[in-house]
Amino acid sequence: MDESKVRLRALDVFMGLGFLAVGAFVAYDGFIAYYAPQLVTVEKAANPGVSTIFVGSLMSFLGLVIAVIGLLGSRHPFRIAKQAVADTIHSKAFYKGVIAMACIAVYFFVFWDRIPYVVSTFLFLAGMMAVFKAGAWWKIALISGITVAVVWYVFGVLAMIPLP
Amino acid sequence: MGFEQIMAEVLKTLNFEFIFLIAAGVFIGLIVGALPGLTTTMGIALLTGITFKFSGHSAIALLMGLYVGGVSGGSLSAILIGIPGTPANASSTLDGFPLAMAGRAAQAITISRMASIIGTLFGIGCLAFLTPLLTELALKFTSAEFFLVGLFGVLISGALTGGDLALKGWIGGIFGLAIGMVGSDELTAWQRMTFGSPELFGGIPFIPIMIGFFGIPQVIEALTDEQDVLVAVLDKTKVKMKEILQYWWVALRSGLIGVAIGIIPGVGEDVASWTSYGVAKKSSKHPEEYGKGSMEGLVAAETADNSCIGGAIIPLLSMGIPGSPPAAVMLGAFLIHGVRPGPMLSFEFPAFTYQAVSWLLVATLFMRFFAMWLAKPMQKILQIKNAILMPIVTVLCAIGAYSLDMRFIDIVLVFFAGLLGMLFKQGKYPAAPLVLGIVLGPLVDTNFRRALKASGGDFSIFFTRPVSLILVVSIVLLILGQLGVFGMIRSWFKKSKPAAA
Repeated sequence: MDESKVRLRALDVFMGLGFLAVGAFVAYDGFIAYYAPQLVTVEKAANPGVSTIFVGSLMSFLGLVIAVIGLLGSRHPFRIAKQAVADTIHSKAFYKGVIAMACIAVYFFVFWDRIPYVVSTFLFLAGMMAVFKAGAWWKIALISGITVAVVWYVFGVLAMIPLP
Repeated sequence: MGFEQIMAEVLKTLNFEFIFLIAAGVFIGLIVGALPGLTTTMGIALLTGITFKFSGHSAIALLMGLYVGGVSGGSLSAILIGIPGTPANASSTLDGFPLAMAGRAAQAITISRMASIIGTLFGIGCLAFLTPLLTELALKFTSAEFFLVGLFGVLISGALTGGDLALKGWIGGIFGLAIGMVGSDELTAWQRMTFGSPELFGGIPFIPIMIGFFGIPQVIEALTDEQDVLVAVLDKTKVKMKEILQYWWVALRSGLIGVAIGIIPGVGEDVASWTSYGVAKKSSKHPEEYGKGSMEGLVAAETADNSCIGGAIIPLLSMGIPGSPPAAVMLGAFLIHGVRPGPMLSFEFPAFTYQAVSWLLVATLFMRFFAMWLAKPMQKILQIKNAILMPIVTVLCAIGAYSLDMRFIDIVLVFFAGLLGMLFKQGKYPAAPLVLGIVLGPLVDTNFRRALKASGGDFSIFFTRPVSLILVVSIVLLILGQLGVFGMIRSWFKKSKPAAA
């Protein structure tokens, strides 16, 4: 098995366990509904917990199977994961990804609803384009300005959406 | 409803406004489809948010235009720069780009465009013919059948799209079903998995999840993987009709494959084009030319992915079960605009299927003109840096999700759905089953319990009717097949034969 496949199997172990946990939560939520005193008058077959118990249990089972396949395929998932994380952290693509996510997070969680939409969107566009070296500063400013104007006109004026 | 009334309803939605919107949809679709990093599914999700203030039918006509344009547009970049605009056009790259590099770019674009038109028209024909038949069948379905069709759809979608392990497709679909069950239960109004948050009482909104799931990972991937693009030069070769007609058999067979795969829930255009390409190569007299610039290969791929459009809309309109990821997002758009697809659609909007057929026909017409007209400017557009394009896409993702309900929670959902999408990509979990699961979650859930309620909790309701029995057997065979049980049986027989001898 090649290196990338082994790494994928190591990731499967963790994702499988993640699905197992999510499935367990879904099934648990189903059991709460199934035994809820408020739903005592509802027929057991129509209880909302029935579907969630079914879906949650199935997800947990499949998650467990994927984790086992991953474990058999990678043998030492923790060691491989440690190596993979170390390699990823040192890659240029990872840094670019983190920076892009950080820019998006700032726009969504810091700017949105706090700074007027037109200003925040212009700052986001210009900032992200500058970070990723889209071109000369005047070009970035021009493209950002035109984009903001179009978005504001289409959504704020034509569609009459109250922009934040 | 008589023929004349249906025609009158169809003509009502073929006025200037509709034709303009369909043309705009095709135009946007061609650009979205052609730009690597933007997919048709993402384009439809984004435009759904933007068009939510439009009247119901006009927004749907626009989105159908985008669907046709998007699937077709992907071949432009596949031929001109060797990077498929959408996953559906990946197989077109194999022959389209070598043809362009050999100085036959215009010829390849014309042939692929004609194949797209033939495929789309074939799909539309099947849509017009098969939807009423399937609706008739679906009207006889009980809750048990609807539950089983939904479950079968999620499982087969998982099996056919899971590139690494079929299990990954299944778990994606099951996870989608769980997401679709969040919120107030339709039968008892019990709150499920809401964490007490009133914003989740109405369920997790589909469109922001789709925008985030498809949009954000594409933005990140495009920004981290900026490549220098080599654009092929357009020649001035004219293509004769005779050249196209020599592939009529390939086109017909690919059209059939596309429609058949389109009807299978949640599978979609990319599987259709790869399957058709594979079949064409196997049955070709010149398989050695495939991958080196075979016109036949290009025709097979392009016809199948376009005929899949009509195929994917058939189960959507007749049963409310989408045949592809773009059709799944369209289902969300339908619901937002007050059109509930399924067997009851034929009573609520009796002419809707034929209106959809007419919109798709108009879209095909515009696709024919725009695609050739756009080929030259597209050479420039394809050179736009991702560093410019992707921040703009992010802004559209945010405003598209926000404009639906003007709630900040939708922006939060876009972000977290984006993170989930990246995790799915890293782990090679297919997106299509998850989308289908989210869409079908309420249908599977309520019909499962309705069936059990009707039978007084007796599970035999899922086996005693012929259609449900066929579906149960199909589900069992599908699961056993994917787990390799048949292979194990075959090898056991092979081993036992020499021993007996």
